Amino acid sequence: MRRRLTADPLNPKTRLNGCGCGRHASPMACAAEGVPGPEDAMAEVAESAVLRATFRHGPTRRALVERFGAAAVLGALASVFPLDAAKEAMAQGTGAPEKRDLKIGFIPITCATPIIMAHPMGFYARHGLNVEVIRTAGWAVIRDRAIAREYDAAHMLAPMPVAMSLGVGVAQPIPFAVAAIENINGQAITLAMKHRDKRNPRDWRGFRFAVPFDFSMHNYLLRHYLAENGVDPDRDVQIRSVPPPEMVANLRADNIDGFLGPDPFNQRAVFDGVGFIHILTKELWDGHPCCAFAVPRSMITDTPNSFAALMRAIVEATAYSQKAENRREVATAISGQNYLNQPETVVNQVLSGTFADGLGRVQRVPDRIGFDPFPWHSMAIWILTQMRRWGQLRQDVDYAQVANQVFLALDAGRAMRELGLAVPASPMRTETIMGRTFDPASPGAWTERAIRA
Amino acid sequence: MPQRVSFWRAALLSAALLAAFLGAWEVALLPSAATGPALDPEYAALIGAAAAQGGQTAMPAPSAIALRLVELLADPFYVRGTNDQGIGVQIAYSLLRVGAGFGLAALVAIPLGFVIGMSPLLNAALNPFIQVLRPVSPLAWMPLALYAIKDSAISSIFVIFICSIWPMLLNTAFGVASVRREWLNVARTLEAGSWRTAIRVILPAAAPTIVTGMRISIGIAWLVIVAAEMLVGGTGIGYWVWNQWNNLSIADIVIAILMIGLVGLLLDRLLGLLARAVSYAE
Amino acid sequence: MKPDVAIEGIARRFGATTVFEDVWFTVDRGEFVCLVGHSGCGKTTILNILAGLDAPDSGAMLVDGREITGPSLDRAVIFQSHALLPWLTAAENVAFALTCRHPGWSRGQALAEARKALGRVGLDHAGDRKPAQLSGGMKQRVGIARALAIKPRILLMDEPFSALDALTRGALQEEVSRLVSEAEQTGFMITHDVDEAILLADRILLMSNGPGARIAEVVVNTLPRPRTRASLHHMPGYHALRDHILDFLITRSREFSAASPPPGWSPRAVPEVKPAEGAAS
Repeated sequence: MRRRLTADPLNPKTRLNGCGCGRHASPMACAAEGVPGPEDAMAEVAESAVLRATFRHGPTRRALVERFGAAAVLGALASVFPLDAAKEAMAQGTGAPEKRDLKIGFIPITCATPIIMAHPMGFYARHGLNVEVIRTAGWAVIRDRAIAREYDAAHMLAPMPVAMSLGVGVAQPIPFAVAAIENINGQAITLAMKHRDKRNPRDWRGFRFAVPFDFSMHNYLLRHYLAENGVDPDRDVQIRSVPPPEMVANLRADNIDGFLGPDPFNQRAVFDGVGFIHILTKELWDGHPCCAFAVPRSMITDTPNSFAALMRAIVEATAYSQKAENRREVATAISGQNYLNQPETVVNQVLSGTFADGLGRVQRVPDRIGFDPFPWHSMAIWILTQMRRWGQLRQDVDYAQVANQVFLALDAGRAMRELGLAVPASPMRTETIMGRTFDPASPGAWTERAIRA
Repeated sequence: MPQRVSFWRAALLSAALLAAFLGAWEVALLPSAATGPALDPEYAALIGAAAAQGGQTAMPAPSAIALRLVELLADPFYVRGTNDQGIGVQIAYSLLRVGAGFGLAALVAIPLGFVIGMSPLLNAALNPFIQVLRPVSPLAWMPLALYAIKDSAISSIFVIFICSIWPMLLNTAFGVASVRREWLNVARTLEAGSWRTAIRVILPAAAPTIVTGMRISIGIAWLVIVAAEMLVGGTGIGYWVWNQWNNLSIADIVIAILMIGLVGLLLDRLLGLLARAVSYAE
Repeated sequence: MKPDVAIEGIARRFGATTVFEDVWFTVDRGEFVCLVGHSGCGKTTILNILAGLDAPDSGAMLVDGREITGPSLDRAVIFQSHALLPWLTAAENVAFALTCRHPGWSRGQALAEARKALGRVGLDHAGDRKPAQLSGGMKQRVGIARALAIKPRILLMDEPFSALDALTRGALQEEVSRLVSEAEQTGFMITHDVDEAILLADRILLMSNGPGARIAEVVVNTLPRPRTRASLHHMPGYHALRDHILDFLITRSREFSAASPPPGWSPRAVPEVKPAEGAAS
């Protein structure tokens, strides 16, 4: 029997939020076990949508079907609604992109590697898109340009679409979505050379730190790290926002004592003899998200084909970048003047994981930075708890629901599947952060503003 | 009392001062013997030359800057991608924005200044607004412009407009108000009419003052564009400076400063020519 | 004969002070009238009123029988300090006036006519020079050329030679005299130079001192034309004329009072005298 993607609306016993076969908690998990062909899937969705629209009330719907039989109900609908045309229209969803020429903004950091390398290495072109990648001055500018639609999609920090959709830090809520995560890990805490003997965070009272942006994993990780070591991030130290490219310059000018920032700037600080790498963020939370590929929600509804093609390109680029044997090639492609504009050896040290740490040792951490597109909802929930913890979010929200809205696990999963990549069964998982377990189902404890003594 | 000075003597002295300054700079940065501890060769290969010697990458010497200058000027107009264009192209972008903003400002300032100069009532009424808006820095206008206008290109041009309009406006108003009574009387007795009087008498009479205002304004416009581009990025010489700063390429920054200064000088000279064309001896 | 210009009862006041009032006089076609008086009696103001650059506080000015306010091309002014537009050449300055008078003329036409006008004042060679490159006398000549070129009904002159040195002054006075009589130009001039008035004027209006100045007397100049500087002081009647005017300026202008004027005086009918007539020499 053909496996359905969605719950059968004509089966009086199903609830339409469940999965097709009835054995899984969500359509996601069910989809993982075997997918119907795209045309059938679209036909199903069309039927489902029309039925739900016509008979909003679940019990009514089920009662009707029980009474008159499935075929009769469908037939009656077909006489008043062109069901076949709808199915056909939906099936054409996987056609040519509506808009070929796209502009994507990026900040010149290694987190954006997939977005950047897709340009010189032809991933966009391969999927029928003519993309211009535009280097941008800072996160605020990239946000403003994305909102103003000067950019069709943008490289953003993973928390930014969450904040924007909730209306935090912007004039009004603007629905943006994380279509894919760009990278995991790939950050570090770098301190000025003069602090080479101050390796214990308890000695950092009075320090001035920089993070790229208020709504960033860097801010939340730094704050959590400090809090776990007994330092109050609001009272004992200063944390200010500095665009990543300016961090090394600021460190050199003694404007800041250290930063938790993206690469290649940690490595660049070492290269210029300005600072040393204190700790990789991988050691704080292995697998933490950092940057995201963000799109406005309208892109998904207005130009679904372009969106789908873009997703395929990004996911493919991400998968390619993740493989260890490709890292060197990627480093060469993205370090030039048109992209990161950094010495190639600096970028290579970040991507290959064999690097100088600023204190005389060569370290080998091959997965210093990883590229995995899947937007785990648990990541989104952690971000939300930290926003609540530090006062960026003033009231409680339904974490799971927001995560579902903003982190598009379904779409990413579909693109991944099309490329033959393994897709997780559920977008939730437990995380291990600095030795403690984070369970997204009960996030409450993490919203407390606890400073461990 | 300024006396006539021989051009060649002054030029010689300028050159000598420059040579002395550059020479001292070059000598100060001559590489000293390596002072750092012995390093693992693999480690040393992964870090920069200065860091390997235990220091930080230093200020480049004039010779290094000169080399880089030759490199940049050899191919100033290349375009190798959206984010990688030659210094000539960047300057051209900046000049385009300056032209647009300054031109718009002139189009508004000169007629408005005319009207204000001829009407003491309008002068008194508008003066408080002008005095309050005049000292506002371009960096303060930028976020407001971005918020209201949203488009970053138009915002930059707006910021140039709003910062460079004031000298032209005030100078035009002043120039027009100070036209000699006598000349106005000549026009009156000749029944010249308001339009002919405005164009053939008031405008030429006030022209030197107006052009002085324009000269000041173009200087401000050029200043502002560099700052605005640093904030917004994309293209332009200001963006180029910011970009090289983030890459810690000090040589490029020095060269950019030199270019900015030279272009500013050129713009001022151009307007100086205009000033000479409209000047008259009384 | 109806007068070209008639001034009827004009007055000028500043707050409580009256500079002058009850001033009545006429200027006939082809006549040259001089106004003589001390500073502070309002001579320049009267000229400005005639030119239309100023308005009286009471009274009116009539041109050809009609009341006029405001300036017009028919009443051309030669200013005390030439008032040439410094960014235009001499020829362009005159051409400017011509295009105001004849708006349909092309630039070439106006310039050609301008050069002719400059030729008449002896400045053929200086047409392309800017005022800064001309001497004081030459600049004033351009002013004269400009005023005459538009063929005004009446030429108004405000102490036109007082800013020049004595030699230039003399030369220009004769030229103006010649030009005016050649063209039979009506003229009105303000001066405090008595010899100048005698050289140029047909009638000389004598104004008492301000405040409260009036036209005290009208002196008719009976000396025959043509008059030249060389021959003027040899003419019979010259000294009588001159003494009469000087006496007025030194003594009578101070003593004149409108409250108790000399017999036969009334504002509308100021007595006319002819001191040069019947005099010995």
